[in-house]
Order: sequence, then C-alpha cells, then structure tokens
Amino acid sequence: MAMVDAGGIRLHVQRTGPVAGRGTIVLVHGLLTDSLASYYFTVAPAFAAAGLDVVMYDLRGHGRSERPPHGYTLDHNLADLEALLGRLAVTGPVHLVGNSYGGTIAFGYAARHPGRVASLSLIESEPATAAWATKLGGILRRVTAELAHNEPDAIAWITAHRGHNTARLAKGAARLARETTLGRDIPASRVLTEAQISAVRCPVLGVYGGDSDLADLVPVQRRLLPDFRAVVLPGHEHSVLVEAPGTVGGHILDLVAGVAPAEAGVR
Amino acid sequence: MNPTQPAPAQPTADTVLADVAGMLRTVLAEYGDDDVVIGMSTTFNRDLELESIDLVTLAGLLEERYGQRVNLAEFLAGMEFDEIIELTVGRLVEYVVWSLKTTQAG
Repeated sequence: MAMVDAGGIRLHVQRTGPVAGRGTIVLVHGLLTDSLASYYFTVAPAFAAAGLDVVMYDLRGHGRSERPPHGYTLDHNLADLEALLGRLAVTGPVHLVGNSYGGTIAFGYAARHPGRVASLSLIESEPATAAWATKLGGILRRVTAELAHNEPDAIAWITAHRGHNTARLAKGAARLARETTLGRDIPASRVLTEAQISAVRCPVLGVYGGDSDLADLVPVQRRLLPDFRAVVLPGHEHSVLVEAPGTVGGHILDLVAGVAPAEAGVR
Repeated sequence: MNPTQPAPAQPTADTVLADVAGMLRTVLAEYGDDDVVIGMSTTFNRDLELESIDLVTLAGLLEERYGQRVNLAEFLAGMEFDEIIELTVGRLVEYVVWSLKTTQAG
C-alpha cells in the first residue's frame, strides 16, 4: 500500500501496469460507499495488460485515505487530483476515467486543464451543474437523515432487503457522513457553466446503465460536447462498472486506442 | 512493512493457509479484531466482514510474500460478483498453491 502526500493530505494510491507504457490512465471512484477497490478488482488488470500505466487512488475520506473532518467540495477533490499527479510526476496528458462522482471530478479536471487530458470516460456520471448539485444535495440529505440519525433501523432494513454486504457498505457511508462535512460540502461546490462544459474538446465516452436516470442525460451531453459518444447497457443501473466490468472496460480501451499517441503523452 | 521470510520452496495448502491467516489477522487488526479463527471454510464477506478495500490490502500482502506470481486482482477479476461475495479462504489458498506450482513448472 502506498500513501502519497498530496499537498497536505495523505492519499492511498495503487499503481499497476508499465510506467513507461502506452500512456497513463487515472481512475477516480465515486462517493460514500466507493473506493479504488471498484477498479482494482474489475477493469484495472485489463488496462495494465493492455500496456497502460494505471493510477488508482482513494478520494479523501474514503477507503484508506486520510479523513479530515471538513474540506469535501469538488474543488478540494480537484486540488487533491492535481497535487497527486504532480507528486507522481505524471506530466503528459492522461486518460481519465470516473465512476459516478469520480466522473464529475474527472470532468472538472478536464475543464480546468484541457491540455492535460487525452480522453474522458464517464461511467454513470455527469459534469457539475446547478441541477447536479441540487440532486446530490437531496441524496446526501436523505443518507444523512436515514443513516446518521436513525442508523440501527436503517441498517436492519438494508440487511433484510439488500443483504449483508450492502448493509456493511451503508454503515461505512453513515460513518463518513457523520464524521465529516461531506454532506454539506458537495452540494455547495462551485459548478460549471454550459460554456465551460462545451470547452472540453477531448474525446468523451459516457457509459450508462439502461435502467438508470442518468441515461436521460445523453442528449444533453451530445448537444454540449464536441466529441461525445455514449454506450447504454440494458439491464443495468448505477452499479454498471462492477456488474459489467468486461464490457465497460472494453469500451474504455476502444476510446483510449482511438486517441493519437501524441495527444496521450506517449513519447 | 514487516520483514518477510522467504516463501518455502514447496508450499502446501497447510503452509499457505497459515500465511494467509496471518495476513488476514494483520488486515483485521486495523478494526481491533484479534483472536479470529480462520480456516479453509471461512468466508471473507460474511465471517470476516472484510470490505473490498481490505482485499486490496490483502493483495499487497500476498504480493509481498509470494511476488507477482500471486495476483489477487486477476484472480477476482475473473469472477462474478456473487462468487466474490461467497469467496472462502480455502478457495484463495487453492489459487495460491496452484499459482506457485504453475510458475515453478513453467
């Protein structure tokens, strides 16, 4: 396990695949119940086998990374990613992959640093907009109310209806919501304008579960983004990455293979 | 990082089980769980209550001990989600013994 000091916060990082390979791919996980493990045991081995330098990290507060009591806005996550890539001496344009909120971070990074991103893969994800902040605020308020304030009942219900594994993940999420200001910080994040979203010109892949509400965003992204392609996988919801890793990983590798090597920072 | 002993030349299920149980105790110690009984039929999920991020730590400990021949990520990436939930210590031990034999022969 490697702990990396990313500008005053210690982040858990796993790196696999050849460092001087066919470009670097950085995988960013989602909120609350998620960690880098969602990549480590799914798509990461295939990416490494394809010759990519694979960088995974736990977001602040998540997995094995440090959990400060506050500082959980999108800007904090962007500063962490900037500092981490600086610390790892990843200088060329990278392929960025984000699952759920991780895709919101990846998109924010591409909007800030267009020259440093070769491609973007957004799994069940969207850029930070005012509508996104309102939606996340609602979800986080519900999690906080149901879990942090009435945890035993909520956990008992989840165990009965969703099983032991989901209940344990929910307990971890409740702890994170209770111990930090994450629930208040995320919806208060600075968001992007349509002009800032449209300025992301690199190839963008959107992967969605067919039964997820996020699939409704496909026309919006198509209108705003100059180079956007979408894959909708029927029979899946928000957890499409862990449910269909072979298919999701294959689409990401196709996108990466289609990017000219110079754009991906391969010397 | 703990200093590691060289892996025995002819690992058996018994020696690998002892190694793996030691690694699992290291992982569980972070939760203040000591004194856990670990056998071949122990499940990672229900019995040990390990989260997926704990398995990342275990993957690192396995690689430290046995080298890149034992790759937990590749082993699990070939499985369905339900299989991972039901995974037993015994199944991992069999995989480790098999990996070490295969690479020795190769």
